[in-house]
Amino acid sequence: MTSGVLDPAELPRRSPVYRELKDAGARFVESYGGAVAEDFGKVSHDEVDIAKNLAISDFSLLPHFGFKGRQAVDWLRLQGLHIGDQDNVAYRQSDGALAAKLAPREVLLIGDVAGRSDLCARFVENMSIDDEVEAFPVPRGDGYFWFLISGKFAGAMFAKICGVDLRPKYFGELEIAQTSVARMNVVVVRCDLGETLAYQVLGDVASASYLWSCLLEAMAEFNGGLVGHSAIRELAGL
Amino acid sequence: MTHGNRLPAPAGLLIDREQPLTFRFEGQLVEGYAGDTIASALASNDIWLLSRSFKYRRPRGALTMAGQDANTLVQLPGRPSVAADLEPISGGLDVYGQNYEGSLKRDRGIWIGWLHRFLPVGFYYKAFYKPRGAWKFWAPFIRAKAGLGRVSEDAPHGYYDKEYRFADVAVVGGGPAGMNAALFAADAGADVILIDENPQLGGALNYARFDSLGEISGNERERLVNAVQSHDNINVMLSTVANGWFSDNFLSLIRGNRMFKLRAKEVVLATGVMEQPAVFRNNDLPRIMMGSAAQRLIRLYGVRPGTQAIVLAANDDAYGVALDLADAGVNIVAIADLRERPEMGLLATAVKEKGWRVETGCAVSEAIAGDGGRSLRGAVLSRIDGKGVTSGAEQLNCDLICMSVGYAPVGQLPCHDGGQLRLDTASSTFVLENLPEHGHAAGSVTGTHSLDAVLATGAHAGWRAARAAGFNAGDEPTIHDGSGDDGHNHDWPLFPHAKGKDFVDYDEDLQVKDILNACADGYEDIELVKRYATVGMGPSQGRHSALNTVRLVTDAIGRSLDEAKPTTVRPPYTAETFGVLAGRMFEPVRYTPMHHRHLELGAQMMVAGPWMRPAYYGSPAERVQVIRGEIAAVRSAVGVLDVSTLGGIEVRGPDAAEFLNRMYTFAYARQPVGRSRYLMMCDETGAIVDDGVTCRFHERHFYVTTTSSGASNVYREMLWWNAQWRLAIDISDVTNAYAAVSLAGPRSREVLDQLTDDIDLSMEAFPYMDVRTGHVAGIPARLLRIGFVGELGFEIHVPSSHGEALWDALVSVGEEFGIRPFGLEAQRVLRLEKGHVIIGQDTDGLTYPAEANMTWAISRKKPFFVGGRANQVHESRTLMRKLVGFVIDDPNAPIPEECHLTLRGNDIVGRVTSAARSDALARIIGLAYVAPSQAKIGETFPIKIETNRFLEAKVVSLPFYDPDNKRQEI
Repeated sequence: MTSGVLDPAELPRRSPVYRELKDAGARFVESYGGAVAEDFGKVSHDEVDIAKNLAISDFSLLPHFGFKGRQAVDWLRLQGLHIGDQDNVAYRQSDGALAAKLAPREVLLIGDVAGRSDLCARFVENMSIDDEVEAFPVPRGDGYFWFLISGKFAGAMFAKICGVDLRPKYFGELEIAQTSVARMNVVVVRCDLGETLAYQVLGDVASASYLWSCLLEAMAEFNGGLVGHSAIRELAGL
Repeated sequence: MTHGNRLPAPAGLLIDREQPLTFRFEGQLVEGYAGDTIASALASNDIWLLSRSFKYRRPRGALTMAGQDANTLVQLPGRPSVAADLEPISGGLDVYGQNYEGSLKRDRGIWIGWLHRFLPVGFYYKAFYKPRGAWKFWAPFIRAKAGLGRVSEDAPHGYYDKEYRFADVAVVGGGPAGMNAALFAADAGADVILIDENPQLGGALNYARFDSLGEISGNERERLVNAVQSHDNINVMLSTVANGWFSDNFLSLIRGNRMFKLRAKEVVLATGVMEQPAVFRNNDLPRIMMGSAAQRLIRLYGVRPGTQAIVLAANDDAYGVALDLADAGVNIVAIADLRERPEMGLLATAVKEKGWRVETGCAVSEAIAGDGGRSLRGAVLSRIDGKGVTSGAEQLNCDLICMSVGYAPVGQLPCHDGGQLRLDTASSTFVLENLPEHGHAAGSVTGTHSLDAVLATGAHAGWRAARAAGFNAGDEPTIHDGSGDDGHNHDWPLFPHAKGKDFVDYDEDLQVKDILNACADGYEDIELVKRYATVGMGPSQGRHSALNTVRLVTDAIGRSLDEAKPTTVRPPYTAETFGVLAGRMFEPVRYTPMHHRHLELGAQMMVAGPWMRPAYYGSPAERVQVIRGEIAAVRSAVGVLDVSTLGGIEVRGPDAAEFLNRMYTFAYARQPVGRSRYLMMCDETGAIVDDGVTCRFHERHFYVTTTSSGASNVYREMLWWNAQWRLAIDISDVTNAYAAVSLAGPRSREVLDQLTDDIDLSMEAFPYMDVRTGHVAGIPARLLRIGFVGELGFEIHVPSSHGEALWDALVSVGEEFGIRPFGLEAQRVLRLEKGHVIIGQDTDGLTYPAEANMTWAISRKKPFFVGGRANQVHESRTLMRKLVGFVIDDPNAPIPEECHLTLRGNDIVGRVTSAARSDALARIIGLAYVAPSQAKIGETFPIKIETNRFLEAKVVSLPFYDPDNKRQEI
């Protein structure tokens, strides 16, 4: 990861919301072939405070990848991943990544918010269709945006745009909801950042801008704002 | 004007005397306090005339002070029919009455009331339609007179939205029963939402009198409210109306501009009761109100409702009203008790000690109007000789009549989900039956009235709800034994008058004779009476007319009151604005990774299914020239089109080829790796539903493209079919994971060659219909040597996060080769010149391959594909239409439009599906369905472009352009 004044359009990989981040005053750093919003020019603890209240941040360029097929779960277990039997639960891996079990034959690997986990890259490299294993990689890293909603008002905010009760009392840590948010199909994973309530939201990258604006609108009532990766890493203790 | 009727504190629970506010009513400045409603602020200034009635323009004032009637509907800027007794005042508010011409006080339209003899019930069903054409005469007049308030087209837009809520137990009604139910459920551990439409918890404890000293209500309110507000498990939603109760305890709640969708495991209904009016002549004059309305004015707003009062009584509560009035400085002229021998309750006993005049077996038979009918001047008391029959007349002066003759339960909400109200002769009121599953009732809505009983039913309902929601609710609370529940309703508080104006339904100005005439006209079912007489069809939806109407109808037709029911209750409970119903509309839209580049290039975007796609690049004023330029660029140099919207589906696994063989019409088992092949999908009826190409990257891996709008449908169909076939494959929709561009034109290879160093792009190494993987501009890519526009072309599919970078690289490198982005409009002409059909445009939901000349895409050797058997049947029958290419040689002819009809003689045989003027071919070309007999090359057929205007079209062979396909295979 390198830092400096950076225009996301200079790099080959681009987040679906890089313009929104840029317009909001993001300071970008290079990561995974693209530019990610490190912060928004505020002092660190201010952004941390925003993130504790209600915030959105974009992790779309960080590794996340899908695996499908009859033998997908078994194959991933053979590679050393911890994946339980229960669906709609995310299983935390030793390097901080999550293995979100979406269905008996489908897993979504979500890297850690610091981008340190190499699970996605490693497994994609290790897979070959010549192996005749019925486990297939699915390029969710490009197909799905990845937003992170954090803060104590996150549950209340979701109530304005989602029909599933995502309040922390009823939607536990590492639970998954495959549901509709603002009439869009998304995967919501509750994954707190230390003591701070947080949800990973992943969905159709083509509608990322649409949902981004819907989320910001819903957050306004609670004084929600944008934060960069720096604040999120700090909350996550990474 | 200032507060002439304002009472000192502690009266006025809801107002803040430290915050005076000024607003206008009928142009006149009026002062009130924050917390006042429009009606209470006006009443404090001795303004009682709020509006006029819908039909006869009768002067009307506050009736319930609870937003339960149409008498107080007023006009606000941009908002008609606002309940003045609910709407809080705000500084600068501009309020007008409704249903008048001229001024509210001097209505020029009052003459219509004089015509009442000519406007009997159902008159509009019998008039206006004859003689023939009469309606045209009457309609403008009726429309000018009809309606409630004025809708302003200039009303400002508001922000409305929706929110979901969840609860173990939802309690509707924040009165003593509701609060006690909430506390019992919450104590058991349930997550409780307590809903009340008022700005303060307490319900009847806020205004009603339960003891002679008037102390219990305040003390009990304080105890319950404190307990509720300090309970962590109770979420209180005030100023929130529960407007609908739908299946599985789905409640719609409205607060301000937001609709809440509440899902609760259990619902406790504690909505209380509505006082019901007595019927006598002129019972609609301003300052004739419910006893509870007078109490609300006093306790909630600190307003003295009159100076000389007559209380019409039929229960002990009426005596509480009298005591409250006296405490507020109102002189009690008389209490007329409908009961011959009233039971002396606590309050009646207290009144007796005051020595006020109490007449038993006595009714108000007429109210005397003053000030030209705009105010109350007195009342006539008469002896009750029998059911609705009075004798004698004593006129007394008064400026206030309070009616306390009975109640009806606020039971509309559960009736939205199967509940039912039924008239109970013992209590002379409606009782609520058949509550929805997981519904519980508590408090006076169940027919209980004493405070202890109300609290007990609340506790029990809360206990039941918590237990049903899965909580350990402890020991069962004591069940109320029903004592003291009867005797609050008089069984016949109706006193018809020979001169009429004895209103049963205030909303629609319906008098006793109107209901009786409806019965006399043969309408003997309450639902028919409702529709014929319009009783209960006004804004208050029968809240004050249903009970008396049921009494009158059952009596008139000679049926027993037992089992009599009011008309069907439907949601919503109160009026909802369109803004609330619409809410914040969510309309997901999909953008390709290159979307902003298109905008930066001046693209005019068009909706294509869920996607936004560039139609053409340039100003609308230059549309035709721009599109021609884009076409020319593709034909002569190179163009680039964003095709990211094409569906992309990975089919992987040992049975992948077998799966495609079953799903699509062509044969794929022997499709070589590295080659692509056309796909056509039919449904089970044999109709064409989608097309695309499949690229074989491995023996067990096919990459399938679909039409832009068909991707999700194809993916769903694939999943559905393989759920039955159980072939060893995985199907993944990767549409959004890939960005794609079509690089087309004679110089496309030169452009691509600049950006590719690991793929041999030569004709020999990379022939038409081949596919490759490699890198373009350093980006991992899938290259498809295919084209839709009839030129040398490549489709380049890259990970979507690289889509914009790919576009940038192509446009940058292509500059020296004359590259030009082109949009859908140009693409449609280009593909038409090539004779390619667009599924959904050149086909419809019934088109099968033989009709569209696409049987070449069907493999006859394989045993099965979806729609195969149906196509065999289709092909065994006589063809009814055929898709042909046509040209119009007339250089001055207009371009036919899609769906212009094609004819054979006078018979319609088909339609135009595509048409355009082709520069390359120097004429109009198109595709159309014609009769098979017209489909031969060289045949002509007429296209009807408008009435009596036809174009002659000639059938030609396809493709129109480059028939030998040399340009795309170079």
